[in-house]
This record gives sequence, C-alpha cells and structure tokens, in this order.
Amino acid sequence: MPRYIMTADLRRCIGCQTCTASCRQTNATPPGVQWRQVIDVESGEYPDVRRSFIPVGCQHCGDPPCMHVCPTTATYQRDDGLVEIDYEKCIGCGYCAVACPYQARHITHRATFAYGDKPMAPEEARFDARRMSVATKCTFCMDRVDAAKENGLTPGVDPEVTPACVNSCIAGVLAFGDKQDPHSNVSKLLDETQHFRMHEELGADPGFYYIWDKK
Amino acid sequence: MRVTPWHQTNWDWRAAANFIGGGTGAGLLFFATLASGSLEAYRFQALLALALIGLGLTCVWAEIGRPWRALNVFLHPQTSWMTREGIVAVPLFLCGLAAVWFGGGIFVGVAALLGVVFLYCQGRILHAAKGIPAWREPMIVPLILATGFTEGAALATALAAVLPGTSPRWLAGALLGALILRRIAWTLYFRAIEKTGLPTKAMDVMRPFGAKFEMIGQLAPEILVVAGIFYGGVLPFFAVLAGLVAVATGWWLKYTIVARAAYNQGYALPILPVRGQGEVKPGIKPGWTK
Amino acid sequence: MTTAKSVKKVPQYCYQCVAGPDLLTVKVEDGVATEIEPNFSASDVHPGAGKCCVKAYGIIQKTYSPNRLLQPMKRTNPKKGREEDPGFVPISWDEAFDIVAAKMHEIRAKGLRNAEGYPRAAASFGGGGIPTYYMGTFPAFLAAWGPVDLSFGSGQGVSCTHSEHLYGELWHRAFTVCPDTPSCNYVLSFGGNVEASGGVVGGWRHGEARARGLKRIDFEPHLSVTAAASAEWVPIKPKTDAAFLFGMIHVLVHEMPRESLDVFFLKQHTGSPYLVGPNGFYLRDPVTRKPLLWDLKRNAAVPFDTPDTDPALEGSFTLDALEVGADGQEWQHRGYAGETSFSKLLTRVKSYTPEWAEQICDIKTGTVRRIAAEWVEQAQVGATVEIEGEVLPYRPVSIQFGRTVNNGWGAYECVWARTLLACLVGGLEVPGGTLGTTVRLNRPATTRQASVKINEDGFMYYPMNPTDKATWAPTPAVRNAHATMVPLSASSPWSTALGPTHFSWMFQKESPENWPKVTAPDIWFCYRTNPSISFWDTKEVSKRIAEFPFIVAFAYSYDETNHMADVLLPECTDIESTQLIRIGGSKFIEQFWDHEGFALRQPAVEPRGDTRDFTEIATELAVRAGLLEEYNEAINRGSACVRLSDENYDFSLDPKQRHTPDVIWDRTCRAASAELTDGKDSDGLDWYKEHGLRTRPISRLSWYLFPELKKQGIRFEMPFQERLYRVGLELGNRLHEHGIKWWDTQLEEYGGLPTIHDFPGIWERETIKHGGSLEEFPFWLITSRSMQYAWGSNVGVQLMDEVAGNMRGHKGVVINRSRAEELGIADGDLVEVHSYTGKTQGPAVLSQGIRPDTLLMMGQFDHWATPYAKDMKAPSMNSLIAMSMALTDSTGSGADLVRVGVKKLESV
Repeated sequence: MPRYIMTADLRRCIGCQTCTASCRQTNATPPGVQWRQVIDVESGEYPDVRRSFIPVGCQHCGDPPCMHVCPTTATYQRDDGLVEIDYEKCIGCGYCAVACPYQARHITHRATFAYGDKPMAPEEARFDARRMSVATKCTFCMDRVDAAKENGLTPGVDPEVTPACVNSCIAGVLAFGDKQDPHSNVSKLLDETQHFRMHEELGADPGFYYIWDKK
Repeated sequence: MRVTPWHQTNWDWRAAANFIGGGTGAGLLFFATLASGSLEAYRFQALLALALIGLGLTCVWAEIGRPWRALNVFLHPQTSWMTREGIVAVPLFLCGLAAVWFGGGIFVGVAALLGVVFLYCQGRILHAAKGIPAWREPMIVPLILATGFTEGAALATALAAVLPGTSPRWLAGALLGALILRRIAWTLYFRAIEKTGLPTKAMDVMRPFGAKFEMIGQLAPEILVVAGIFYGGVLPFFAVLAGLVAVATGWWLKYTIVARAAYNQGYALPILPVRGQGEVKPGIKPGWTK
Repeated sequence: MTTAKSVKKVPQYCYQCVAGPDLLTVKVEDGVATEIEPNFSASDVHPGAGKCCVKAYGIIQKTYSPNRLLQPMKRTNPKKGREEDPGFVPISWDEAFDIVAAKMHEIRAKGLRNAEGYPRAAASFGGGGIPTYYMGTFPAFLAAWGPVDLSFGSGQGVSCTHSEHLYGELWHRAFTVCPDTPSCNYVLSFGGNVEASGGVVGGWRHGEARARGLKRIDFEPHLSVTAAASAEWVPIKPKTDAAFLFGMIHVLVHEMPRESLDVFFLKQHTGSPYLVGPNGFYLRDPVTRKPLLWDLKRNAAVPFDTPDTDPALEGSFTLDALEVGADGQEWQHRGYAGETSFSKLLTRVKSYTPEWAEQICDIKTGTVRRIAAEWVEQAQVGATVEIEGEVLPYRPVSIQFGRTVNNGWGAYECVWARTLLACLVGGLEVPGGTLGTTVRLNRPATTRQASVKINEDGFMYYPMNPTDKATWAPTPAVRNAHATMVPLSASSPWSTALGPTHFSWMFQKESPENWPKVTAPDIWFCYRTNPSISFWDTKEVSKRIAEFPFIVAFAYSYDETNHMADVLLPECTDIESTQLIRIGGSKFIEQFWDHEGFALRQPAVEPRGDTRDFTEIATELAVRAGLLEEYNEAINRGSACVRLSDENYDFSLDPKQRHTPDVIWDRTCRAASAELTDGKDSDGLDWYKEHGLRTRPISRLSWYLFPELKKQGIRFEMPFQERLYRVGLELGNRLHEHGIKWWDTQLEEYGGLPTIHDFPGIWERETIKHGGSLEEFPFWLITSRSMQYAWGSNVGVQLMDEVAGNMRGHKGVVINRSRAEELGIADGDLVEVHSYTGKTQGPAVLSQGIRPDTLLMMGQFDHWATPYAKDMKAPSMNSLIAMSMALTDSTGSGADLVRVGVKKLESV
C-alpha cells in the first residue's frame, strides 16, 4: 500500500498564504477555519533575527493520537496513511482536538460566512451541515486521492489528484506523494535533502516532512 | 496568527467538572465502602458519589457537539480511554445502585472497584491528550488517582461528622494517608513538568498555583488532620474543615489543570531552514519554558 | 454539500497586480463560481509553473460580495465632501447614460481644452496599467474622445519605483530592473521585496534559485518577507542605501586590483574611456563632433567609434578638442589635459570609503568591504555562456531595488550606482546579471530591443522631452506638467502617469510662483483607483476630488473616492466579462518568459444584478458621444490589445457600425491568432474560450539587451552623465527665463557624476521646517508590500483579510521590541503615530526584526466608506505624509517616508 505524505521545503516558503486561500476555497471551510496555514515565526534578537514561514496542518500521522483517543472511531486511518473523519459518526467531543499536537483540528458550532450571517451563492451551494459541531481537519484532499485509483493518475504528479494546497503553491514548497515508492517525487526529494518532522519526539510518526537544506 | 501555544478551546469548565465529579465521586464511593459506619451512611455516601459522577458525565454530555449521537462513545474500546470510561460508567452505576438497593453484598465491593477503574480511566484520558503538555505528562495519572482518593477520603471525613456510626479518627488517618499520597503525586508531577518543560503560559499558571496549592491544598489540611488526630477534642471540627479544604483544593487542582493550564503544543523547528547560502541556525520552540 | 449537476472549469487570467498576469481556471458548479485553480495547461509555458497568486483566490468572494454595487446610481446631494451623504439613488442604465452623455455633449460643445489649456476630460486608473486589462475597450473610447488628462494619480509616479523607471529606460531600456534570476547566484536586494511584489514568477523563480544555492543579502530597515527568505539581513538605516553602494564602488575601484574588474567591458561597452573637458562635457572631435577617447594603440585621441582601438580607461591626456555645453554653448580647447570619465569617477568616489558608508548606513563594520569582495568574486569576470549559439558574458551577480530606495531623493544615486556596479564587472544586460524587463517610455514597446538605436555620442537614443528654447513646452498640456518639468518622462502613453502626479492635486489648491493656474477637470472618469485613501495627505486629496464638478465612477462597491461621484456605473467584474491580454515576452519585474502570446478573460458566470460588460459600456458611451467611428477606428488600431489588421490579415471592424462585445473580441482574438502565426491561423473568441491561451516560443536572447547593443556598437552610458547634465542646465535656463525658481533644488540633481548628500536629512529638515523637532518625531516610518492585499481592491475581500492575518504586522504598527519596552508599549497596545501632518492609530506589533529607530505600517487602510475595510481600524501612513515640493526629486517623485512620533493610547 502507498503511504501518502507531504513535504514542505522551508528554504522556499515565503508565507504568501496561497495554499491557505486555496485550501479554504477548495474545501469550503468557514471563515477562520484554515486546514492549511502558513505561520510566520520570528526568532533571535535584533539585529540577529530570523523569520521562518512554516506550513502547518494535519500531519496525517502514522500513529495518530487523535485516532487513538477518538471514542467513536469517527477518526480513522486508511491503508494509504490518510487520517480521516467520518462526520456522521463524530460526536464533537473535542477529544481528538486536544490529543493532536499539531493544532490541526477544528470544531465550529455556528454557521458563519464571509460577510455576516447570510451566505453568498458559493457558500450556500457548498454549505455542508454534516460538518457542524463535529471535528474537521485537512483531508489531504481525500476525494482527489481516491479519484486517482479510478482514473490511474498519480497523486502529487497529476494536478487533478493532488491536494489543492500543493497545486496552488507558488514557490515550489509543497509536494505530495507516496513515500513507499522509492521512485516517487517525494521519495526522491527526501533522498536529496536534509529534513525533519515537527514534534517528532512525541512519537506520532507524522507524515509531513520539512526540508531545511540540501544534502 | 498564533505561533506560541494558546489555550485549547474545546474543553471548558464542563470537562473540568467531569474530572471533579468523577474523582470525588469515585473516591467517596471507595471510602464509603471501606469506612461507612452504617448502612444509611453508606447509602447516602454512595448515592452522593454516583450523583457526583453522573453530574460530571452530564456536563460532558452538555459539552459535546452532537449530544444525540452520544451512544457512539462506546465504539472504540480498543484504544480510547473515553470509551473505556463510558463502558466502566455503566456497570459502575448499575452496581452502585444495586449496592444501595440491596444494602450490601458483592455489589458494594464491585462498585467501589469500578469506581477506582473509572478514576483510572479519567487519569488516562488526560494522559492520552498528547496535544496538551500539562495533561500528557505520565505523572498526571497518579495525580488524578491520588486527588480522587483524597477528595473521597476528605468528603467521607467531613460527612462522618454528620453521619452516624463512622469513625472519624480512622477516616482522618485515611485522609492523612491520601493527602500524603497526593503530596507525593503532585510533587512528582510538578517536577516532571518542570523537567520536560511546559508552554510558558501554562507554567505561568502552574507555578503560582503550585505554591498556593502546597500551602492551602496540602499543608493546611495535613496540619488540621494531624491536630485532630492528636487532640481528639477538636477532631470533629478539624476533620470537617480539613475534609472540605482537601476537597475544594482537589477541585481547584483539576480545574486549574483542565481549564486553565491547557495550553497546546504550539509549533517548533528543530533547525532553521537555510535560505540560499545562509548559515545553519539552531532550532526554536517559541513560547516554551524549555 | 450536495453534488453539483454541472461542473465546468473556465480559463481566465488575473491581472490584479503588475507582476501578472496569472493564468487560472474558475470552477463553476451549477452556474455558481466556486473555486480558483491554476491553469495547469499553462505550466509548460509559464515561468511560474502556471500557478496563480493568492489574490486570484479572492475573486470568488469579490464576485459574490454583498457589498457590490449591482445597478447604476446617481447622486442626489449636490454638495460633495467626506462629511456629505451623497444620497445615491438607483437609476436605470438608460438614465445613467443620458446624464453622462449630456455632460459629454456640453463639454465637447465648449471645446476639449479649458481656458488654461488643460483637457476638460480627465481619467484616473489604478497603478501600473492594471485596470486597462479590466476595462475592455474603454481605452478606445478615450482615444476617440481626444485629449484626456491622466495626471491625477493615486500614488503612481511618486510611490512607484520611479527613478528606476526613468533612468532604467535611459540606460538599458529597463522600466523595471531584475536579476536574471534563473541563472544568477548572488543578489543584493535593497528594499526590493520581490517575495511580496514579484508575483508568482518571482516567488517561483527565487524559490528555485534558493534551492540551488543563490545567495541573497537583503538590506532593509525591517525584516520583510524577502529579508526572511534571504541568506542575510542587513538592517540599514532608511534612505542611506546609496551610501552603501557608493562604498562598494569605492572598494571596487580603489581597493581592488583593476584586473579584478571587467576592464574590457568598461573600455569597449561603456562611456568610461570618454574624455571630459573642464566644463563637465565630453571633449569632442572638432570636425565630427564625436566624443573622444585616448587610444593606447595609436597614443592619440580618436572618436569613440574608431575601429581597432585600445581605449585608455583612466588617466589624463593632453589634446585639442571641442566641448559642447547647454543651449549650444561651445568651447575650443588647445592642449587641455582631459581626464577619462573613469578617472573622474575615481576622484568622485575617493572619499566614499566603507568606513564612511557604514557610519551613514548604521551597520556593522566590515559589511561593505566583505560584500564588495563577494560581489567581485561571484561575478566570475571572464566567464562566458552560450545561448542559442551566441557566446555571451556570464556574470551571475545582480542588485535589486524596491520602493523608497528607488524613488524620491537619493534614488537617482542608487540606480546610478547599481547600474555602474553591474558595469564594473561587465554584468549589465548579460546572462546571470542585471536586466531590464520591460519598456514603457520608449517606443516601439513591442520588445526591449525594438527602440534601441544609437545616438550621435555612441549611446542609446532616448526620447527626452525637449529642453531647448525653441521647443520646450512652457505651458503644460496636462496638469502635472511632466513634459515641462521632467525631460526624462518622455512622451509615451505612460509618461503622464509618471510625472509628478501629486502636482495635479497640489497645484489645484495653490499654484506655485509663475505657474499657470491649475483647474479641476469638467468631467473625471475613475476606475479601480482610490486616491482619497491611497495617495498622500489623504484629507487634502479628498477635498480636491470634492471640488471636481462631475465624476463618473465605474464602481465595484462604494469607496472613498466614488463617495464624491455624480454617477456610479457598475461593471461586470473579473470573471463576468470578456477581454484579451498579451502574455509572456518580457514584462514587469520577473515576467520575462520563453514564450509570448495571448490569454482570455471571459464570463464564467452570469453577471450579477444589473452590471454590464465594460466593452458594452464603452461602446454605448462612444455612441452617445457621437464618437462611434473614431472609437471603432481606435479598436482597429489596437486599443483593445492588438491591431486588427496587418499585411497578412484584416479583421477590422466596420467603423460605422455598432458592434457587440463578442464581435469586438472575436475580431481581436482572430487578429491575435494571426499575429502569432504570421497570418496562418485565425482562431477566434470561441477557440480562446475553450483553450484560454495561445503562445509561441521566443528566443531567450531577447532577455538580454547586450547582444543588441553590441550589434549596433552602442555603449552603456556609464559612469558619466553628460546628457543629463546638459538637459538639467537647459531646463534650468528655461525655468529661470519664466521666473520659476522653486525647482532649483531639483535641478541640482542633474550632474555629470552623482554626489551623496544627507538624504535622510531632507526629511528631517522638512519636519523641522514645519515646527517639529527630531526629539518629538524620533522614528522613521516606512511601509512594505503585502502580497495578499496589494493593488486589487482586496482590502474588502474577507478571504484576503483573513489569510493576510497569518503574516505579522498587517494591521498594526510594527515597532522594535526593546524600543517599545523602553516606551512602555506592550504587544497589542493601541498606539498613536503622528507626523507633522496628521495622526493615525493601530495596535503595536512588537518585533525584533526592525531597527530601533524605525516603525513599519504595512497596511494603508484609511478607509471610511469602503464596506468591510472601513471596519478594519488599521493604521495608514498616507495621512501622515505631506505632498511637498521639498520632498520631490528632479524626476517628480517622492517616497513613502516620514519622521513620526508614537505614543500609547490604551493597554491591551
């Protein structure tokens, strides 16, 4: 089975938030709910200061704490590594949200829209009542990954079956693919570079790799 | 934009209430079983314990987003301590009520035991919340157990003053023992979070709390109980006072950990990215004590 | 979420900023636009992998926003002003056109120019020519109308990278200047915030470049996103960049061995060996009048274009020569010891040592010398590269500038030093080096090479506005007087917007001494522009706009400028209307491609409400003004993107007939197809609707100007500026003949070689002149580009507002953390920032990444009428900056810079 992962080349990231905007739109999340986000982190003291931009979101962990704690099995892990949520099963207890060390989960209890309480036409068309009061998060654009099986395309290579954030990235930061396949784009990228995973010490085996230098 | 850990927003006072009700209830059930001087006393205490546990669970039910799907909570006993807590709660209530109804027999012991298991589940619930550094510390489990027992002993001690037949001195001894256990558990917990580090804001809550808790939550009831044990004349009054203080501070402890120190993990980089031919710079963990 | 019955993806372009256009598709589900995606089919030809910028994702909300105006409106309150309620009431399109037509007829009956000689009609559009690509055939309407004053700016011409535009075009056909990023290895960026302003292509190329090891050093007073993405940040004091660059020049020419420089390039491809006379002009051959150089082979002075010479780069040589000054003044010299231009340079930069520079720039000792050494080392002098069979020098070093560095006082010195530093290592307009990327002032502008021709002195011809007595224009043709005051602004359709566009506003209130009275236009068209909040001294600008008697605003929503309008005409927005745009070739900033062609914007969804396609509006206006024939002729000439006929094809419109937008764009698309295929194909609108874009490959050699100059034997006009010196003297003569003394300081900028002045001191003195003290205003206030907001009315788009919030500083006042703590200011405290002209307020954003003497305001959101934006309560520097003659440089430009004070209003 494949193990889909995402990589973020931090050498390239410029914090433009194109991935954030694209994700918000593609997944029709409500205002403020950013399944993909790029944070802006300053470190050091003047004048020796650095500023780093870090794409964050669900890491689709190999050993996901969110899944283990979920009392309903709404959060589950697929054979291909994607960690997903069954909105029909979720009771919105929020336990997964406090179990996730990546702050990736969101629960909204009230429908909100870009301009007040009334949805615009696209918001109305894409409003999904199933998502109210349950946990939501980045799905690695699961529907696209699933479509790949049907049409023989390769996630991470063919845009139709690649997560929206990766497709949108304007600086070549984000990549997506199968880590099990040694010839995949992400495997090659990881072979050529030095990288880390965030909070690796917490043992969740995150599926999101941050590239920081060439080898 | 948030980079440093921020307080989680999913569990509020209602979640804390579950740990408060569950801990005190389970502890009380345990000590009611061990030390009730009369059937009436047991019945009263057991019913009160079940009510406390039930109140806590009701608070949680009121907090979840989809309350009418609450029964789904039983679907994941393989790994979820919340499911296990729910599963234990059912026989706990059945046995507890049976024990009250029949006034003795095996139900009494089983109910007390289930209460302890329930309390253990609660400790493990917090420990499994890997996103909250103040909760995931392994020493949280003995701390939750210890404070649950302390609160139970303390409430039982306080109630002994008004309930017939119970030996306050015995209970006072038990409370002292529980307090000592809680002191040890707290110390181990606090040392552990100091050693591994916490989000600065969480530590800003825990450190001043700890100083006060050790004085008010530990030293004060310990002195009162010891004084009561040695000077029998003041025992009833001191025991009630110590019990109430120990219960209240246990609740304060759990409210603080669950609802005030629950800062999340935030973000960190073990090394900073190299931009072009730039230098390699060490990593950062913004908003952490270490 | 229900599954849509019909789903389609419609190709579009986004040109909300000059760093575009970006190519994208709009997903339309059951008739509703839901998602933006890159147009993946463009990834092979687009240098940014076909991606589209974050702003494009706002188009959906922009289209469906409840704040949009959906029907024409007219004003019912004749009084205008910020405090006046316009009393807009909805009207039909017919009534709206009647009102505008009546005014147009009234004006045409009176004459197209008013008593002062200014056009009665004026039009303003947002910066960078962007709105042109959303206003359909409206340019054809303006062409049909006759003289239109485009000089009421909204920041362009003063807040843009102005000196780069003007001098860049003079020296290397470079309206915008850029590193050859795909093959450059070393970039010095002074305020050039390319990660925020370079668009998708900038983001993509620099990402690639960093991954392969490009080293960029960023010089800015604050840690911008570009500084963040650079190998090193040098927190330089505002407006001292020129000193740093002069320090580098000093190291290169005085401390390094001469052979480490590209001596051959300097001798053969620049004006360095030209000999200079005692009056500051070239020494010329008395017969041919050509500038002379000293040939070491012949040991004699020879005209610059003598074959087979080895010109002396430096030294003093005795000769007989002619010197030609301003206004035809001439001097004959006998036995004069003429120095080369390069020797003049050596003398000029002698005192600009690194130690001197570092003190001025307030940076770490040793930085200048280290970076100068890296510059030379990384330039690889002597290296070559073959491109399409041609061997060219390869110099992978470049310098990039941004706003406030390359506009306003001190900018000329910066752009001169940048161009010279490239020449010193032979890195101008060659692979890896410093390139110009577009032409706006020289014509023809089809390619950068098209306008290159040699002048009599061996440099590139430049269409200066005349300064001689016979042809200088004492009476301005437009209100900002660019042709009169700024010879370098030339006379292309872009020139007006590049004049001192604040003069139009300033002079309307009070004209300076001996200057023709400046009056308001009788009719003002405005579109995608909001000078009421985006220019400086916003209160005054709003008052001037309120004085305009008749304003027609093409309006998306209410805003601070159309608050004063008489008629509001709501047009179909980005994805509701049709237009064709040129893509590729070489355009602004990083937009230089290996392909060129066209892309279409088309209605992906039905227009909302009673909005109309801009082409339909323009046609109706033309008809009602009785200008249909002229309008159609203008379209035939190419006003709508492309000429409709050529020797190979003819898709011209019948001038006498009224045509629908679809017919007009079909003809335009056919002509575009024909142009790309030399007449072979003629695919029309339907083809473009389906495919979105059409391109053809172009030669990469077109990126570099050097091959063309070499071919024509043209030298780069560096380092000496004889031409500018002469033009400046002549302009001074003309102004003084007309009693105008108020431009004398600006005239000092015209010289043979620039000098470093106390540039920050100009702003400091202006503060003191207005009664302020430096103790009262201890900070410099600067601004910085936001990729999420810039240019496209994105301030009212919730999604852009939200995602911009992920980046620090957007809605606050960024202040150095230690300095803030000294002042008792905590993160999030409400602070007031004040200058001698006004005050603004917002939350403090504490940062280590900013100089202790500098404040930063990224947003300029002084909105008080625009829905959504007016509730932001964010600070804006626009109300703190004066429109000031003293702060205007000789090109008519200023800078977003002001001395300010800060005080805490409320704690968090």
